[in-house]
Amino acid sequence: MDKQRDFVLRTIEERNVKFVRLWFTDVAGTLKSVAIAPAEIEGAFAEGIGFDGSAIEGLSRSYEADMLAQPDPSTFQILPWRGEIEPTARMFCDITTPDGVPAAADPRNVLRRALDKAASMGFSFYIHPEIEFYLLKSSQIGPEGPIPVDKAGYFDNVPGGTANDFRRRAVNMLEQLGISVEFSHHEGGPGQNEIDLRYADALTMADNIMTFRTVIKEVAIEQGVYATFMPKPFTEHPGSGMHTHMSLFEGDTNAFFDPSGEYQMSKTAKSFMAGILRHAPEITAVTNQFVNSYKRLWGGGEAPSFVCWGHNNRSALIRVPLYKPNKGNSARMEYRAIDSAANPYLSYALLLSAGLKGIENNYELPAETEDNVWDLSDSERRAMGIQSLPQSLDHAIRLLEESELAAEVLGEQVFSYVLANKRKEWSDYRSQVTPYELKTNLEVL
Amino acid sequence: MATARSNGLLAGLAKYGFIELESTIGKLDELVSLVGDSGRSALASLGKSVSPDQALDYLIRLSRENKVAVKKLLSKEETALRLCKLTGASAALADFVVVNPSILKEFEKEQKLLSKSDYIQILVSSIIDTSITHQAQVTNLRKAYRGELTKIAIFDTSALDPILVQPRVSLALADIAAAALEAGLVIGRRELTETNDFGTFTKEEVEDTRLAVIGMGKGGAGELNYISDVDVIYVAESSNENLETSRMLEIATKLATRMMRAMDATNSEPALWQVDANLRPEGKAGALVRTLDSHSSYYSRWAENWEFQALLKARPMAGDKDLGKAYFNAMNPLVWQSTQRENFVESVQKMRERVSGNIPADEVDRQIKLGPGGLRDIEFTVQLLQLVHGRSDETVRSPDTLTAIEELSKGGYIGRSEAAEFSAHYKFLRVLEHRIQMSKMRRTHLMPVEEDAQRAIARAVNLDWTADDLLTRWSEVKHQVRALHQKIFYRPLLAAVSKANDGLEISSEQALDRLSAIGYRNPEGALQHIRALTSGLSRRAQIQRQLLPVLLQWFSEGTDPDSALVAFRRLSENLGESHWYLRMLRDSSGAAERLSIALSNSRLATALLELIPEGAAWFEEPEALRPSSLANLNEQSESLAARHKDIDELARSIRHIRRRETLRLSLGSVVGELNIAQVSQGLSDLSEWYLRALTDAVVVSLQVNGEFSNDVLDFGIVAMGRFGGQELGFGSDADLMFVYKLVNSEESEAAQKSAEKVISELHRLVKDPQLEFEIDMELRPEGKNGSVARSVDSYKAYYSRWGDIWENQALLRARMIYGGDQLVSEFNEVIDEYRYPETLELKSIVEIRRIKARMENERLPQGADPKRHLKLGRGSLSDIEWLVQLLQLKHGSQFPSIRTPKTLDALVALVESELIAEHDARVLSEAWTLASRVRSAGVLWSNKVSDVLSIDRRQLEGMARILEYPRGSASALEEDYLAHTRRARQVFERIFYV
Repeated sequence: MDKQRDFVLRTIEERNVKFVRLWFTDVAGTLKSVAIAPAEIEGAFAEGIGFDGSAIEGLSRSYEADMLAQPDPSTFQILPWRGEIEPTARMFCDITTPDGVPAAADPRNVLRRALDKAASMGFSFYIHPEIEFYLLKSSQIGPEGPIPVDKAGYFDNVPGGTANDFRRRAVNMLEQLGISVEFSHHEGGPGQNEIDLRYADALTMADNIMTFRTVIKEVAIEQGVYATFMPKPFTEHPGSGMHTHMSLFEGDTNAFFDPSGEYQMSKTAKSFMAGILRHAPEITAVTNQFVNSYKRLWGGGEAPSFVCWGHNNRSALIRVPLYKPNKGNSARMEYRAIDSAANPYLSYALLLSAGLKGIENNYELPAETEDNVWDLSDSERRAMGIQSLPQSLDHAIRLLEESELAAEVLGEQVFSYVLANKRKEWSDYRSQVTPYELKTNLEVL
Repeated sequence: MATARSNGLLAGLAKYGFIELESTIGKLDELVSLVGDSGRSALASLGKSVSPDQALDYLIRLSRENKVAVKKLLSKEETALRLCKLTGASAALADFVVVNPSILKEFEKEQKLLSKSDYIQILVSSIIDTSITHQAQVTNLRKAYRGELTKIAIFDTSALDPILVQPRVSLALADIAAAALEAGLVIGRRELTETNDFGTFTKEEVEDTRLAVIGMGKGGAGELNYISDVDVIYVAESSNENLETSRMLEIATKLATRMMRAMDATNSEPALWQVDANLRPEGKAGALVRTLDSHSSYYSRWAENWEFQALLKARPMAGDKDLGKAYFNAMNPLVWQSTQRENFVESVQKMRERVSGNIPADEVDRQIKLGPGGLRDIEFTVQLLQLVHGRSDETVRSPDTLTAIEELSKGGYIGRSEAAEFSAHYKFLRVLEHRIQMSKMRRTHLMPVEEDAQRAIARAVNLDWTADDLLTRWSEVKHQVRALHQKIFYRPLLAAVSKANDGLEISSEQALDRLSAIGYRNPEGALQHIRALTSGLSRRAQIQRQLLPVLLQWFSEGTDPDSALVAFRRLSENLGESHWYLRMLRDSSGAAERLSIALSNSRLATALLELIPEGAAWFEEPEALRPSSLANLNEQSESLAARHKDIDELARSIRHIRRRETLRLSLGSVVGELNIAQVSQGLSDLSEWYLRALTDAVVVSLQVNGEFSNDVLDFGIVAMGRFGGQELGFGSDADLMFVYKLVNSEESEAAQKSAEKVISELHRLVKDPQLEFEIDMELRPEGKNGSVARSVDSYKAYYSRWGDIWENQALLRARMIYGGDQLVSEFNEVIDEYRYPETLELKSIVEIRRIKARMENERLPQGADPKRHLKLGRGSLSDIEWLVQLLQLKHGSQFPSIRTPKTLDALVALVESELIAEHDARVLSEAWTLASRVRSAGVLWSNKVSDVLSIDRRQLEGMARILEYPRGSASALEEDYLAHTRRARQVFERIFYV
């Protein structure tokens, strides 16, 4: 840690950095930033930077406003889009109370706690996300809704298209920020793109995702377009998910791998998956946190609306991907419900803890589902014991309210804040008269 | 033959100290057959070995191959003794002698310890032959080292008093280690210049590279063990300006690595020990070798507090002497500046705690080095005192522990007797450590568990000792070391303020630093109080000087050490002249500890103790902190009533008893003697007794004065609310109603007047400005506007005509605490009809739900967070009580078992009657109990009644400590409270509103 701190101080000198942005994330998953001058960095490492926490969503109650941001030197990076003229760097922060105790409501702290729990069981948790987003001409909404930058589809190469340039530039910037990109391509919807980040431990990855969103937004501005992570901006096109590949390691060994198991899955992998399946409905209000998220989950196509798993089943909630037999260390499972607008810290903390619960309590993994679950009838699904994820934010909130797992993992304060925040969103939404109602009701009634 | 011989012989062998007796006879025979009669005379020498059995085995093994040499050694007592003592003490070195019999000649003469330069000369000359491979040179070096090690061990084991020679042995061990490193460097240089693989460097470049090895820890301080890691740091410079620094560092790093390999890489002769360079700047991740500048800039900018502590013992050990000296001159001053860094003392203390915390539980008792009362306690204390005082006093800066103790004593920083004790114990513990290590040449600091091994260690210290003797002595030493650790660390602090005449002087500034390091927020204030408590020549000041070091420490373990010290001073001023008080604190350590807990964690207890200082006597026996029984209280009040004719005087005495008993309850609960149920019961009993005793007095006095109407047959008090449920907390109001029974059924104005008179007198007499007592009568019919008392019939009329459902609900907790049996049963009969109705109409149920829902909105104070309100908040007391009461109203008539004013009892009965699921009831009970405990802890901590879970972290911390959470649990308490009440609310909503 101190070596990293020294590295930061040296780099600031060497690269003549003019500003350092301290980043942290609020409970809703929005990135917050405060810029300080290099001269203040040493003090920030020693004592943190004080700020008024009550101004930040969910961070603290209004009567305990004073909070400290403690920069994490291991996250230091020079921001590439700032150019060389006034180099600007950033670090992620942990939030503490003035007496130095980690703030209960800091999402990073929530994830840290969950990772500590995993570490105490001997596990480290790795994540590899596939992040989808739409490129629009602008944030303005046209008469037909948002206007995508192109009309291409899955894996299409658009000659001279914005999307190609865009992805090249974005991938470049991400690499400069030390975020490795595995894969990038055009997705199914017009203007829809997907960029897959190379796996990293969950805390680094959550930081990376927050950085990723900023980079994508910055590049879009640079190129005169608009990028959105809204889960479902078009009724008729697929939504933007963030399929997340997860693996647990015990030291250097992939704990999910067992050459003799079914699909080479270890017992640990099965219990972990069983844990996630059992708890998936109650944590959906976090992994899919907006009213709009449920439009994606229930918009058909390959959306993972039903709680089941499969090996090669593109409609399953959890997919166990193929990997080469000699690559035991790439054993993993893919959780498909989470969307691109989720708070990654809270979501990963919950997914991990749900899986660990499965391991601790030896949950039995239900049988694999081979059919496309969307093609089944309700009664067939009922007969097969396949539950569904919540159908709306309201439904999700009601399941979350009863979740001891979520309360324990998020901590009582974040838990009750999330609930209050989501209840408000639902009640605001419920009072809206939507274009759909106008279209179907106005002329008839 | 054998039996005849063994008759007296077996006992004889036992006397010599053998453990195996029968088989020893055979072995002795074998020895005699090998070396003749000198074998028999060896018996006396064997008997002086720590393990005669082991020594005899080795004599036989050695004799088989070296008859002549062993025979010669055994023929003289002096040489026989050396051989037996070494082979008995160390199997590892004896094995070495077996393999290298040339060493046998070393037993012929008395061994002396050599100087470092002699050792260097010996080890370097062992590798003089450069015609052999480097591997073979390493083999020769290691053998030579072991030869010298064996000689040191011969010196050590044949010394008359191992404790006396321990410092010199340790120094010699450090010296041969340094010599080995020196020789290792020679081999390293040869490898770099002679081997083709390293042809990248020229001979000149290697020669121009200056490398110094700095010894850290025991190696640097010249107090090494028989076997332990040798901690080092490397510094290198180029002696030729044409050799670039980066290239020079590359060579130096290779050289250091080669040297380390010569010590610890695999070879036909086993490794000597690990060379550990992890104390270097940036630890494992940092460069192995740095230039002097690089070291300097690291320590002046980045190093942490503990790294300076480690530098205290850094001394040049091998390699370039001038460079080593330059390193010392540059770095050593930094050590003495380091105490000025913020929180230095605290961080050193934390480091010590961390070390203790890391010992596996099953090893704590066996640890000679790290456990309580182990070597670390001594070293830590000594180093901290050196660091603190060495800044201004250059005479206390020696690196080795024993010299440092002597210097500190000379400088007056610790007392002479303490220094002597400390140093004797240090040597004793080091001898144990040496002997344990020497036996198998293993790096260990654990007392062996096998009795035979313990016995060998015991005999090393004293030939007459058994394993038990050793363990007994060791445990005494540990005790004294631990005590000294506390004493030496805290007493100088007092010396500063009390100017005691034992030569100890520390400036106030240093005392302030220490006070603030252990947690006092206002060290100046604390120092003043300490000064006041310890100045003067009175017996009181004397004892307080003894007590304060411990008390200061205990106070600092509570949440508010500053107030504790003030309170202690006041208490001492009140009681100091009472002979029992200080004697109790001094002689009964439990008492002083309980006092410290109470004073540093509870303002309520502190305030009450100030009113009633003699209550301090209860600290002596925990039983005295249990609530007095009702019978006992009644006896006291009856006897008072018999003695006092004047009602005001009587009331004064009764009030005093109430204050005293409240103090007892508060002390009992803050020191953890009482649980919440006992506290509530105790407080309810006390309030009940208080009211009864005073009402008795009032009624009697009115009757005596003829002011009590003959129309009144009996007068009664009904406890309501939490008082009715015997669930009072500290500072709770007493909810009451008053009832009387008429002689005949006609309402009588005179009777009403008499009742009112009783009540107003009672109001006057219960008032206690020193410890408030509030009577709340708002639950009576018509509330504030209603009459303060009614006849039984009037109650009946009211409830039948006007009673609201919430009033019926309140009656569920009505409990008569005063009045004759007939009045009680009549009144209960009246109210039972309403509190346990045969059917509860739906309309009433809806009404109760509505009132509750409205209360949730309206009764909560403006801006209060409902999640944190202990009484009216989400899932807290009133949610649970209302739920229980609704079920009682519904089912009470059918299930008599659930008729109880006590919430928890009611929940149990509801489960038994299957009116609520067991799991739900458990959730509710837990939340109710926690909310009650939190409320009580809040009052104990702050001496203020508050219905809100504080947001102040210090107050939360204080409450958490009272609730027996570990230190630093403010957030954990918050989290627990929020989780329990959230679950309770879920149950509540599921049952109450549906």
